[in-house]
Amino acid sequence: MTELTAPNIVTSPTPSDRRRKLLQNLLRGERPYMLYIAFVILLVVFSLSSPWFLSVENFLNIGRQTTLVSIIAVGMTFVIIARQIDLSIASTLALSGMAAALAMSHVDNSWIVGAAAGLGTGALVGLLNGILTTQLSIPSFLVTLGTLSMARGLAMMVTNTKPVIITNETYFAIFGEGSFFGIPVPIAWTLAAMIVGILLLHYNVFGRRIYAVGGNPTAALYSGINTKWVTTAAFVLTGTLAGLAALVLSARSHAARPDVVQGMELDVIAAVILGGCSLFGGRGYILGTLFGSLIIGTLNNGLVLLGVSSPMQLVIKGAIIVAAVAFTKR
Amino acid sequence: MEPSGSVAAQPGPPTPLVMVNGINKRFGGVRALRDVNLEVRAGEVLALLGENGAGKSTLIKILSGVHAPDGGAIEIEGRPAAFDSPAKSREAGIAVVYQDLSLVESLSVADNLLLGREPLARFGFVRKRALMAQAEAFLAQLGIPLDIKATVGSLPFAYRQMTEIAKALMGEVRLLILDEPTSSLTSDEVRILFDAIGKVTRRGVGVIYVTHRLNEVFEISQRVTVLRDGANAGTFVTADTDMKRLVNAIVGSDRLAPAAPRAAPPTTASFETAQVLSLSNVSNDRLRAVDLSILKGEIHGLAGLIGSGRTEILETIFGLRSVDDGTFEIDGRRWLPKNPADAIDQGIALVPEDRHVGLVLDHSIERNVTLSRLPYFSRWGWMQQRAAGKRAETAISRLAVKAQGASSLVRTLSGGNQQKVVFGKWNDPRPRVLLLDEPTVGVDVGAREEIYGVIRHAVRDGTGVLVVSSDLVELIELCDRISVIVDGRVARTLLRGEIDDAEELHHLLQLYQASGPSALDKGASQELPA
Repeated sequence: MTELTAPNIVTSPTPSDRRRKLLQNLLRGERPYMLYIAFVILLVVFSLSSPWFLSVENFLNIGRQTTLVSIIAVGMTFVIIARQIDLSIASTLALSGMAAALAMSHVDNSWIVGAAAGLGTGALVGLLNGILTTQLSIPSFLVTLGTLSMARGLAMMVTNTKPVIITNETYFAIFGEGSFFGIPVPIAWTLAAMIVGILLLHYNVFGRRIYAVGGNPTAALYSGINTKWVTTAAFVLTGTLAGLAALVLSARSHAARPDVVQGMELDVIAAVILGGCSLFGGRGYILGTLFGSLIIGTLNNGLVLLGVSSPMQLVIKGAIIVAAVAFTKR
Repeated sequence: MEPSGSVAAQPGPPTPLVMVNGINKRFGGVRALRDVNLEVRAGEVLALLGENGAGKSTLIKILSGVHAPDGGAIEIEGRPAAFDSPAKSREAGIAVVYQDLSLVESLSVADNLLLGREPLARFGFVRKRALMAQAEAFLAQLGIPLDIKATVGSLPFAYRQMTEIAKALMGEVRLLILDEPTSSLTSDEVRILFDAIGKVTRRGVGVIYVTHRLNEVFEISQRVTVLRDGANAGTFVTADTDMKRLVNAIVGSDRLAPAAPRAAPPTTASFETAQVLSLSNVSNDRLRAVDLSILKGEIHGLAGLIGSGRTEILETIFGLRSVDDGTFEIDGRRWLPKNPADAIDQGIALVPEDRHVGLVLDHSIERNVTLSRLPYFSRWGWMQQRAAGKRAETAISRLAVKAQGASSLVRTLSGGNQQKVVFGKWNDPRPRVLLLDEPTVGVDVGAREEIYGVIRHAVRDGTGVLVVSSDLVELIELCDRISVIVDGRVARTLLRGEIDDAEELHHLLQLYQASGPSALDKGASQELPA
């Protein structure tokens, strides 16, 4: 009977234990303090080195520039926690934007039709990703590499690579240029996506299932969870959010272009991983993703303000992402 | 005392090929081997028998250089030998074929045979034709009929195994060790394998043949060495012994604990009225016409060797394996298990053998306990965090899980406590049918008693339990009925009272297994003791 209690004796930790634990957490990033510290360091460095950085106007700028990445990163958080990856989001965004603009130009110039077409197209691409991944058991890395190419090709085909002009003022106001209680709408949409993400992931049954499927797919199956459906739903969510990002982008630029945001999937994935998601699944949270996106956005913004050349920006950004992941990973 | 079989009539050489003298091996506090002796002669097949944990694997690992012995000596052809690495053992001419094969399935037989020692031209290019010729010549010399161009992955299992044996024999091999080579072979494939072994021994190679199938021992070996609890339990000349004596040596007679006092056996009448789940004639890739019933409030045990299909019966009921034929009835209704979610809806729960399958180790107790019952802790899809937390607390206190709290990660718990968490997943509401696969494996004595308590508690509330266990003492202590599973079918169902103790059950198991499926068909069970 002695073995029974031996492995799990509850002892109250001494102060030095607690300090060591805290330090461990900081360094290893079990709690994401490192993420916040990295963000603060970035803010301090840029504030000291650029006179324009520290202003409300510039922070709103960062918010606006981060919008697309942040919105899609919410969905990507679900996908990555479920042990999958979605490389197709930038192409999905381009295709959804084209669908929204074309739908509006064909049906009464109605912003509702446009929004529905944009979101619906994104959801459909997500559904395709999910079904191919779960039903044919193809790794999502390959499935979404394929749909990345297909969606981009389709976006270019529909107008023979020409942009589609949008003229609906309501559409501009709702998705791009208006403000909601003083908050610019792109930032408001980002916050909305974050809140929905937090509710779904941390307060809904769906979130529990996502964590379980990513943490141990076999255990999830043995607990009676339809792992295929749950995985597919994560892809649909991400596709739909790519559609939302497409609405924001096209409303801001008064047009949908088939060649926008190429390569943005890398920023999105970097933001999610920076935010503390494990690529091995089962671990991650939305607030971390928000800070991950902010770090990427702040980097982009600050480096421009410092007058760093754009090739050099890429190098620095890449190095900082690798360094940050090295610090924040478990 | 020379073997009189037709295969190896010539007397062994004056010095045996391999001589193992007084080997000792200790792992921590466990004495895995105690003064074990073993002798293999050139050109003979020595069968090595013993239960799981008797020390066969340890002995093989010492011969193959994986473990170093704590004491004792190994001699090869009279010269002392000591291996501190598998490479040294290989150099001394000892080759081992393990159960899990080490072949590259996408390559051809020839490529596999010469993997790492391909004939090369300049700049590292492989001389394909020379490689084929070498492989062909080698197989011809062995007399093993294999198509060298065939991709290994496309071959039937027996041929893969022969490829593995051929590969093991590349180079100077004097002793070949086969670890349960037939455990997944059909009887035709076994025949092919035995032919190949015969060809190998004719070349003077000694073979140690590890198996659980006693009937094979009489077919292929000249002598038998039995290990029990890490010590020698006898060496026999195969021709001079019989199955009963071997079973006695394997099981021993002084070791098993007496059976617990038992309740009255269920009467036939209660079978009809209280069946909660029944299977009739259920067949699939691993099961053959399984008939089984589980009564309300009954603990029904499944006994059988590893690979007999015990676990597969549980998996089939839980919807993890497709059903080809047969019918299921739950509470008198016809039903076919489609997937685990469906089975759970019917009130069936499974506690799998591997806790890595039952739990998300990196998540908290609360998350794990609520995972299987999420609808109970949510309203319109939104988690009722307080209800979930309360449930986890209840489970922790009811099952006496030793943990800091509901938010402790399952990974930080001991094996027994992890197992209790798996039980906690299904504790409330009570399942109609609780399927348990080795419920106390890797669990210490105290926690084991507590788990028995949990099982009995569920039974008192009317749950029917189907439990698979390799621990026969456990089965006898727990079960109202025990079904013996052999080769995917129910060989026999014993009522409580029909069998007295674990030793007797063990004999029965060994005899059923030894006589094989064909013997069952012929109704050989009449000769078996009850």
